[in-house]
Amino acid sequence: MENHHISSESEEEEFSDRFVCCMCLELLYKPIVLSCGHVSCFWCVHRSMSGEKQSHCPLCRHPYNHFPTICQLLHCLLLNSYPVAYKKRELQILEEEKKTGYFSPQLDVQAWSSQANQDSNIPGDSVSKELSASMQETVFDSYNLNNAIAVSRPADGGDYEGMENVTEQVKYPLLSQQQSGSPKQISVADVLCAACKQLLFRPVVLNCGHVYCESCIVKQDEEKIRCQVCQSFHPARYPKVCLDLQNFLIEQFPKELAHRRDGVQRNHVNPTTCEGKSSKEAEKSSSGSYHRGVGCDYCGMYPIIGDRYRCKDCVEKIGFDLCNDCYNTSSKLPGRFNQQHTAEHQFELIRSDIIRGSVKDNE
Amino acid sequence: MTTSSASTSTWVSTTSVSSSGKRIQREMVELNMDPPPDCSAGPKGDNLYHWVATIIGPPGTPYQGGIYFLDITFPGDYPFKPPKIVFRTRVFHCNVDSSGNVSLEIVKDGWSPALTITKVLLAIRSIFTKPDPYNPLVPSIAHLYLADKVKHDELASEWTMRFAK
Repeated sequence: MENHHISSESEEEEFSDRFVCCMCLELLYKPIVLSCGHVSCFWCVHRSMSGEKQSHCPLCRHPYNHFPTICQLLHCLLLNSYPVAYKKRELQILEEEKKTGYFSPQLDVQAWSSQANQDSNIPGDSVSKELSASMQETVFDSYNLNNAIAVSRPADGGDYEGMENVTEQVKYPLLSQQQSGSPKQISVADVLCAACKQLLFRPVVLNCGHVYCESCIVKQDEEKIRCQVCQSFHPARYPKVCLDLQNFLIEQFPKELAHRRDGVQRNHVNPTTCEGKSSKEAEKSSSGSYHRGVGCDYCGMYPIIGDRYRCKDCVEKIGFDLCNDCYNTSSKLPGRFNQQHTAEHQFELIRSDIIRGSVKDNE
Repeated sequence: MTTSSASTSTWVSTTSVSSSGKRIQREMVELNMDPPPDCSAGPKGDNLYHWVATIIGPPGTPYQGGIYFLDITFPGDYPFKPPKIVFRTRVFHCNVDSSGNVSLEIVKDGWSPALTITKVLLAIRSIFTKPDPYNPLVPSIAHLYLADKVKHDELASEWTMRFAK
């Protein structure tokens, strides 16, 4: 793959073409992965969305109705891979945000990496102590951790045990090294599946921004996919593999991924066969009235269809709104635009009189 | 989350002019490095949002050898809205009217922010080779094209001689 140059400025850092946003044509910043697997910047996705009807992926025209949350994993990956170029993008976007008065969410990179650190360093797993002879030069660990995040890991640990010896003992540099040193390297600990805690294999990104192996996405009931990390629903069908991330991983970890592929095949997990199944969601929300240019700050539905709850106390220019479903759940997610919304804030119900046909068809 | 001009806040239109300018600049650099065949484009003067482009009539068509000038106007929220394309050279073509407007789906409802001027120019170039008489701007030319292609091509190449050389 060709490399992209940041030219015309003193500092130059090359980055892979696959991380160029298809809309601003610059390095992806605060990347969002759509349900079709295509990646763009936070602001590019937001600006390309239609405020009054269904939105479509700029690359494949796949329809979608929800503004996804930034993919923190990809954000950190880009930050670590191209620290100079990414920082430059950060400054550039911040400048624009100051001009427009709208702000993107602040991502806590420290918390994220310490989480990853925690994930991969919990001692006591006997499997992790068995170092395979071929990989003895560095530190190893097991990623099969019954960590607090893996809330609803299916009770199939036993089945995995056999292959963990082979597949999970992948090397990664110490995190301390990552935080101080530059140029930074990506380690397996940075690209783990939220469910199986192994190196991502055929990664898919849910609407909430959390990343899973394609084979780790399980539907709890027939209706919707629920994220095991944040418990939010994925408002569409099975997400497609993020090929840009997948190809990057193949480049970075060819050996480890080959192991993963064998493991996944051995387990005969292949949910993609279900992809054709339609969800009933499309019918459910074709109720009619919608709020032009107003999005839900929890689930990202944009425009909001049905009742809208507007926060009366948020002072940010962009406001804070919830759709009916999210208003009625006790979710405590932060706003999509860095609003300082708190649980004490009061909402007012706003009904829309803009009626239109089903906005939600064929997602 | 909301963004609009209405009194209630909304999510709409957060585009800043600087971001569209950056994108246009980037396209300019890429177009200079790797221009599409028989096409050129660049800013008319100091204004980055007003470009002029040329397309050379493709060989094997009645437009062969003609040099067609086009005005390209970028909206302030480019690339989220399509650029406006107008022919400055008169052309005998069912998809280009006498004011120079082009009926081209991708610069109208079919626009995607992932499209670039390079792709738009290639699409325009392709209507020289393959007119679309079923979505015409000038029905009379479309009719002639379908009924008597030889006559159509004769007139078209006459216009090429008269206006585009």
